[in-house]
Amino acid sequence: MGSSQYVIFSLGEEEYGINISHAQEIIRIPEQITKIPNMPAYIDGVFNLRGKVIPIIDLKKRFDFAQTGRNADNRLLVIDLDNMLVGTIVDDVSEVLMIDDASIENLYSEIAGIGKNCIQGICNMGNRLILLLDALKMKDEVFQNN
Amino acid sequence: MIALSELNSCKAFAEAIAAYVPGGIFFGYIDGDTITWAKSSDDFTVDVLKVGYKMAADTAAMQAINQNKTITKEVPRSVYGIRLLVIAIPVANESGHTVGSLMIAFPKLHPVAASFNDFAPIVAEMFHEGAFLYMTDLNQIAYRQASAKFDMPALTVGYRLTPDDLPYKVIQSKQPMAYEIDESKYGVPVYITAYPLFEDDHVVATFGLFLPKATASTLQEMANNLEYGLSGISAAIEELTSSASEIHTNEQSLNESIKEIIDITEQINDVSAFIKEIADETKMLGLNAAIEAARAGDAGRGFGVVAEEIRKLSDQSKSTVPKINELTNNIKIKVDEASKKSQSSLSSSQEQAAATEEITASIQEISAMSEELVKIAKQL
Repeated sequence: MGSSQYVIFSLGEEEYGINISHAQEIIRIPEQITKIPNMPAYIDGVFNLRGKVIPIIDLKKRFDFAQTGRNADNRLLVIDLDNMLVGTIVDDVSEVLMIDDASIENLYSEIAGIGKNCIQGICNMGNRLILLLDALKMKDEVFQNN
Repeated sequence: MIALSELNSCKAFAEAIAAYVPGGIFFGYIDGDTITWAKSSDDFTVDVLKVGYKMAADTAAMQAINQNKTITKEVPRSVYGIRLLVIAIPVANESGHTVGSLMIAFPKLHPVAASFNDFAPIVAEMFHEGAFLYMTDLNQIAYRQASAKFDMPALTVGYRLTPDDLPYKVIQSKQPMAYEIDESKYGVPVYITAYPLFEDDHVVATFGLFLPKATASTLQEMANNLEYGLSGISAAIEELTSSASEIHTNEQSLNESIKEIIDITEQINDVSAFIKEIADETKMLGLNAAIEAARAGDAGRGFGVVAEEIRKLSDQSKSTVPKINELTNNIKIKVDEASKKSQSSLSSSQEQAAATEEITASIQEISAMSEELVKIAKQL
């Protein structure tokens, strides 16, 4: 048992975390996003990150949030999904947190299956619960056409 | 011509009626040149005309004897101290010789003088503040009548007129005269009149009034005081008006200052927005540095600590922003309150200015009335 660092961000009221090894960098939402026709609604388009063309996913849309509005605190968290760079629009990136593996509770696979989601587990920190995302499952989920 | 034998009848008749003749009457019998019998009314006597007095040759009595006819003569005041109308009827004995004369004398009085004692006491009481009535002959006061409320004690019967006295001037000018003198002479302001009384186109007497004018004088004084007081009030109101306009100006500049303060708080908000921007940027830098440090593995550990510190600092600076905003909002709220208050005092001062204008108008009306009052008081 060890511990790893997670980048913590929020979507709506909830806090999410993603292993720092998948995090590439955090930038402001690019002003110029190129739309791509015939794409699901949660794909915002693509943009140019220092010469690389990277797709942008609106996670809140992807996770079917009722409120998907944006504000000045929105950030683009560029994550590395198995050697594929993806920009995800999140509400705010708050910190980098060292999380003990012991504090991570795994969801029952039945529940995980029902939710069809990519949550690796929940970090219980007493007064805050952080949903930890599984980057590899997310890649499958994000790019499967449903 | 009266027969000597009838003389006793005449005397009896005279003694019977003497008391009833209005104004008085004198009867006397002159035997030769000497009064041997006299009878007069109780209220009319001529001191010298007594039994034993010898009549001068130029008297009516002696002329009646000498000329043997009835003589009627007016005797001036210089002879007996009083003007008389004298009738002398010769008296003859049985042989037809005139031996004496019956003398009848009436005091010769102007009708006003004759009735003075009847009307003066009544008239004197008819005046609100009382009155003093008098009548003079050509030299002195002959009749006086004080009222219950007013008297001129110095003016006694027999007071000799001096050229300063109004009746003296009236006798000289033969014109009615009147004037008012202030309280310095008699203690109260007095209105004095004198009218000449004529007989056969000659001034023989004067009649006049002294009317105290205390009420009119008090009224006049009060009216003057009122006018003086009102002019003081107008001056005070003028000052009030000018200070009201000063308040107005001050309130306007206060409003300007308040607007400037609001502008400054907006600028503070801009600055704090800038601080938030920098804090956001720093936070992102810190996070990215943390990601880089993690990627560097053990070698990046120290850098990761620095990155975390940077991120914490950025959080702290960001947390000051809402505090600043709260402060500037409080400033705005207070300044808005101040602005509303200054607006309301501005409108109050405008109302005040309007009110003082109304007061000024009213004061002007009252001033005009008090001037009128002064005029009326002077005419009273």
